Amino acid sequence: MIRRPVLIAALAGLALAAAIASLGFGPVDLPVARLVAAATGHGDRIAAIILLELRLPRTLLALAVGAILGLAGAALQGYLRNPLAEPSVLGTSNAAALGGVAALYFGFAQMHPAALPLLSIGGALLSLALLFALAGRSESPLTLILAGIAVGTLAVAGTSLALNLSPNPFAAMEIMTWLLGSLENRSFQHVWIALPCVAIGMAMLLWNGRALDALTLGEDAARALGVDIGRTRLRLLVGTAIGVGGAVAVSGAIGFVGLIVPHLIRPLTDRSPSAILLPSAIGGAALLTLADLGVRIIPTTNELKLGVVTAFLGVPVFLIHLMREKRLW
Amino acid sequence: MMRALLAAAAPLLAGAGALWAAAPGAAPSARAQPKRIVSINLCSDQLVLALADRRQIAGLTINAADPQMSGEAAQARGLPLLSNSAEQILAIDPDLIVGMPASRSAPLAALPGTSYPLLDLDTANSLDQIYASIHQTAAAVGHPERGEALVGRIQRQLAGLGKPGRGRVAAYYQRRGYMTGTGTLIDEMMSRVGLVNLARILGKPPLSQISLEEMVAAKPDFLIVESATDVVTDQGSEMLHHPALRDIPRISVSEAWTVCGSPAYADAARSIARQIERIDGGGR
Repeated sequence: MIRRPVLIAALAGLALAAAIASLGFGPVDLPVARLVAAATGHGDRIAAIILLELRLPRTLLALAVGAILGLAGAALQGYLRNPLAEPSVLGTSNAAALGGVAALYFGFAQMHPAALPLLSIGGALLSLALLFALAGRSESPLTLILAGIAVGTLAVAGTSLALNLSPNPFAAMEIMTWLLGSLENRSFQHVWIALPCVAIGMAMLLWNGRALDALTLGEDAARALGVDIGRTRLRLLVGTAIGVGGAVAVSGAIGFVGLIVPHLIRPLTDRSPSAILLPSAIGGAALLTLADLGVRIIPTTNELKLGVVTAFLGVPVFLIHLMREKRLW
Repeated sequence: MMRALLAAAAPLLAGAGALWAAAPGAAPSARAQPKRIVSINLCSDQLVLALADRRQIAGLTINAADPQMSGEAAQARGLPLLSNSAEQILAIDPDLIVGMPASRSAPLAALPGTSYPLLDLDTANSLDQIYASIHQTAAAVGHPERGEALVGRIQRQLAGLGKPGRGRVAAYYQRRGYMTGTGTLIDEMMSRVGLVNLARILGKPPLSQISLEEMVAAKPDFLIVESATDVVTDQGSEMLHHPALRDIPRISVSEAWTVCGSPAYADAARSIARQIERIDGGGR
C-alpha cells in the first residue's frame, strides 16, 4: 500500500507525461522547438494547426474518456462487489455505441448536435437498467457477467443491423470504428460533446465513495449506517450512463480500460472501494492516453483501433479473474 | 473510396478472362443487335445506357438508378434492376452480358453450365481506355456509329477546357483519409485541367491513406472531395470537415461522374475547371 497523496501524485505525473508525449508524436515529425513555439503562439501556421486543432483535442479526449472508463469500472466493481464488472463487459459501452450509431446514421445528429450524446446516454442507461433488472440482486457474480454479455451482444448486433439498414455503402468500416473505438481525427467539437458528460458522470460517481464502503458490509449494514441504497444505485446508474455515453459518442466503444485499471490500482491502496475511485480515474486517463500513443507509434499500414490495444492488455486480466472465480460455478 | 471498393470487389485485370465477344470490329455478326442485354457492373451500366436502345436492355445493376453513384441514373429509371443474382440472369436468358469483367463475376460463376455471350470490359484508368470501352460496347450492342459519335462529343467537350489549374497542387481526398494517386482517372483528370496531384509529389501509390496531420503539413492548393461527403453522415465523411482543413479551398465533384470510366468523365473535368475559375475569381 502506498500513501494516498503519493499514489495520486504519481498517477497524475504519469497521465501528464502521457499527455505531453501524445502532443509530441504524430504522423508528421515536428521538432520540439517548433511545437513549443506553436504552443506559445509564435509558431508557424502549420505547426499551430497540427498541435492545437489535431493533437490537443485528441489528447484531451483520451484523458477524459480514459478517466470516465476507469472510474466507472471502479465504481461498478465496488457497488456490485464483482471484480469483473465494468462498462464494456456489462455491455454499457456497446449500448452507448448503438445510440451513437442511430443518431449519426439516421440523421438525428444533423438535426441537433446534442442528439448524438443524448442517444448514446440513452443507450447506456437502457442497457444498465436492463442489466440491473435482470441480475442486479443475484448472488453469483457470474450471473451478472452473463447478463452483461447478453446485453452487450444484443447491442453489437443492433449496431451492425442499424448500419446495414442505413443507406451507407461504407457500413463495414464504420462498424469497426464503433465497436473497437478510435480517437483519430477528433476535433474540439468532439471535446465539447464529451467533456460536459464526462464531468457530470465523474461527479456523480465520486459522490458514491462512502456508500460503496458501507456496502462492503452488506446492504442491511449499509442501511443501518444511513446509506440510501436506492439513491446510491440511481446515482451510479445515471452517472455511468451519462459519463460513458458521452465518451462513447465520440470515441466508440473502447473495451477493458475499466476492467484493468481498478485491478492494477487496488493492491496499491487499502482496498476499500472509495480509495480506488479517484486513482482509477487518473490511471484510466494515463492508460488510454498511452494506448492511443501506441496506436500511433506501432507501424501499421492502417491505423490500429484503440480497442485492439486495450483488449490485448485487458483480456489476460479478465481470464485470470475468471479462473479464480471457477470455484463458484 | 468508391473506386477502392469497386477495385476490391472485381479483380482489376480482365487478363485471363475469356473475351468471347470483345474487341472493336470483332462484334459477333450473327447477333448484330442483341435484344436482351444484361449489365452486371455499375460502370458497364453507364456505357450500355449511353449506347444501346432502351428496348435492348433487359437488366442493369441495382445501383444504376442511384444518382449518387451512377452518371446515367435518370435514364436507368424504369428499366429492370437486378440484385446480382444468378436466378434473375437465368430467367432473362440474356443474349449479351456486359461486365467489368463479365467472365469473373459471382453470379456467372454460379451458372457453370451456361454460356452466354460475354463482353469483358477493362477497368478504365485513362481516357484512352474509356474510348476503347465505348467502342467495344458500341460494337457489341450493334451500334458502332453511336460509339464514334460519343467519343467525338467527349473530345469536343474536353478540347475547350484550358488549364485553369496553372500547375497548382490538388489532393483528391476521400472518406477516412484515402487519397487517390497516380495512374488513375482522377490523376489524369487533374493534369487535364492543369493541376498537379499531391500524391505524385509525395510519391504515393494509386490509393493511399494520408492523415489529417500530413495533409495539413503538405498544404495543397485545392482539396477535391466527393460531393456525397459535403454532408456529414458518418465518421468517414466527418473527418473531411475537420476544422484543420478549413483554409484549403475545396472543389466538390459528384462521385457518380468519377467512380467509373464513363462518358461522365468530361462532365467531371469541366466541373473541376469551372470550380477552379470560381475560386480564383473569388479573390483568393
